[in-house]
Amino acid sequence: MSSSLSHPPAHLPPAVALRISQQAPITLRNPPSVISSYSISSLWSAAETPELWTEYENLMLSCLRTGDEQSAHLCLERLTERFGAENEKLMALRGLFQEAIAKDDAELKQVLEEYENILTKDPSNMPVTKRRIALLKTLDKTTEAITALNEFVDSSPTDAEAWAELADLYVGQGMYPQAVFAMEEVLLITPNAWNIHARLGEVLFMAGSTGDSSADKYLGDALRRFCRSIELCDDYLRGYYGLKLTTSKLLSILPQASRQSKSDSGLALPDLKTVERLNETATAKLSEIVRKSVNGEPGWGGYEQAEVIAAKALLDSSAAKTIR
Amino acid sequence: MLTERQLQISPIVQESVMHNTKTLTTLHNLTASLFGVGAGILGLESYPGFLFYLIFSLITSALVYAFRVRPGFIEESQAQGNSGMGRYFRNSMELWTGGLFEGLSGFVLTWTLFYGLVRA
Amino acid sequence: MAQIPVQTIHRDPQLFYWILIPITVVMILTGVLRHYATVLMATEPKKQELPAIREQRSLLRGINLRTNANVISPASFQARKDYLVNAYERGDFLKDPDKKGQAAANPMTDPAAMEGMMGMMKGNMAMMIPQTLIMGWINAFFSGFVIIRLPFPLTIKFKSMLQAGVGTRDMDPQWMSSISWYVLCIFGLQSVFNYLLGSDNAASQMAQQMGQMGPGAGAQMFGPGVDPDKQFKAEAENLSVLAHEYTLEGVEDRLLETVRV
Repeated sequence: MSSSLSHPPAHLPPAVALRISQQAPITLRNPPSVISSYSISSLWSAAETPELWTEYENLMLSCLRTGDEQSAHLCLERLTERFGAENEKLMALRGLFQEAIAKDDAELKQVLEEYENILTKDPSNMPVTKRRIALLKTLDKTTEAITALNEFVDSSPTDAEAWAELADLYVGQGMYPQAVFAMEEVLLITPNAWNIHARLGEVLFMAGSTGDSSADKYLGDALRRFCRSIELCDDYLRGYYGLKLTTSKLLSILPQASRQSKSDSGLALPDLKTVERLNETATAKLSEIVRKSVNGEPGWGGYEQAEVIAAKALLDSSAAKTIR
Repeated sequence: MLTERQLQISPIVQESVMHNTKTLTTLHNLTASLFGVGAGILGLESYPGFLFYLIFSLITSALVYAFRVRPGFIEESQAQGNSGMGRYFRNSMELWTGGLFEGLSGFVLTWTLFYGLVRA
Repeated sequence: MAQIPVQTIHRDPQLFYWILIPITVVMILTGVLRHYATVLMATEPKKQELPAIREQRSLLRGINLRTNANVISPASFQARKDYLVNAYERGDFLKDPDKKGQAAANPMTDPAAMEGMMGMMKGNMAMMIPQTLIMGWINAFFSGFVIIRLPFPLTIKFKSMLQAGVGTRDMDPQWMSSISWYVLCIFGLQSVFNYLLGSDNAASQMAQQMGQMGPGAGAQMFGPGVDPDKQFKAEAENLSVLAHEYTLEGVEDRLLETVRV
């Protein structure tokens, strides 16, 4: 259990999060030696490690996800006892807890006010700034959230998380060029992140699907991003999925696309034959992944079930099209 | 040696390299001290002692090769047919000689200590 | 010349109990103590004002762009390069733009700088004080004892080093005095500390000495006495001469070559 607790719970599938939070009362029965009153037995108990507190934090988040507010509160109290209420990260965590137990928008607005109070006192409090932006997003104030995020990345332009969030918000607003810019910033910070490459490909694909005049250029870029993400991570399901979508789309528009669409910057569109071969490769690879992971072959686990199902659906639909 | 462009295409991530080196170094340090205990208790002197250390650390490296590198090597050669050594090491000397010198000081210490204790 | 017989010296086994083992135990315990002392003395990273954070991270952004430029398309790179180079040269990211062009403040007068120096001093002290103390202790109590014999032969040159404090001319250089056992411990206990305290501990002096050169480079970047404006200018220059080579060029052909279904 501890192993899954040391990862951020946002990446855990819901079932695992539920299992963790169900065991929370057992985990929390014994307070850690550091904050319990001093006794002779604390000499033999395990020493305090940074992992312990990471586990507490993640346990709290898991409990909040599954609605176990009592255990979450207990976690929060113990963290406060150890690190003090003035700790920046704890301020954000407490805010998160209050957001989670808030019943309506009015209460959420109260939390927002609290955040703003903290921030006027200390504008360099990064965790609370981020929480405020997340809360703005929850309250459907997307434009305000974007403005706040822009200010944030101006003062801290090496924060990959913030750039990724900004890209997400832009995608939600349909502002694809800005989203692409933000994703590229993430890539500059983490140049080998294959998931970010694939995500950028997805954004480019969406931008190319709007029917814009420069659609084929976007699609060409998207194609290359997906290729790169697969190159960095073999058998990456999302990469192949995107590759298949993009190549299918490109195949439908390439014949009538003007061959002179090569822009002065960037690369020319790949030729028809390459796209066809890529499409075939992606289809074959996807069906291999789906088959092996459904059969549960060793070494082929680890794919998320939803993604495998989506890939299967895509394969089925394209197969139906060919038969027709 | 990889060219700069090849490095860009298939990057070597510094954090992973550090982690691997650290694990191997810990292994070599620990085993070197234990070999020192062995050599001291056996009462080896001068060249036989160093030979003992050399042979046993090579055996350690060989075990690492057999259990960790070799499986990847087989998998890799089936898939692509290139050298499996390149999967984990930048060149093969790194595996065989990498730990020899780090462990030496620990070996000498425990060797001397146990030699002295046994031959008091 | 006749074969020199192997020298044997009868040593009292009490030497082991009262010199060898105490020195070793004290060395290990000092290492552990040093580790925890360093952990406890580590000052919390000082809280910085927003403009200072902005200044540092903007510089880092330029460095990131320079090192990872190849992942983005030439057009995007050009746009970012133009923006950053201009902003750097104008000094847009500076903590206090008015100070631009002035010489850096004397690090001795700047309280923030003093803090950093103190941190370095503490690190040095944590290493120096125990060393001096133990050296003094061994010299005062155990000097002149021959305690142990190295299991391998050495040339006569090592004699003065290994037998410091023992004034015998024709003793085999294999014999060691207590002070040389101490030196051997310094080098050899590395692995013991690795085992006891985890591999990135502060106990081992070797690591400490390395560390003074290693992270020093990182600390120097934003450290006291460095003019940020000059750093920005230098970075702008680096950026503007960078040759860009797009990684994604030809990626589809590479992929088709490597992927086997």
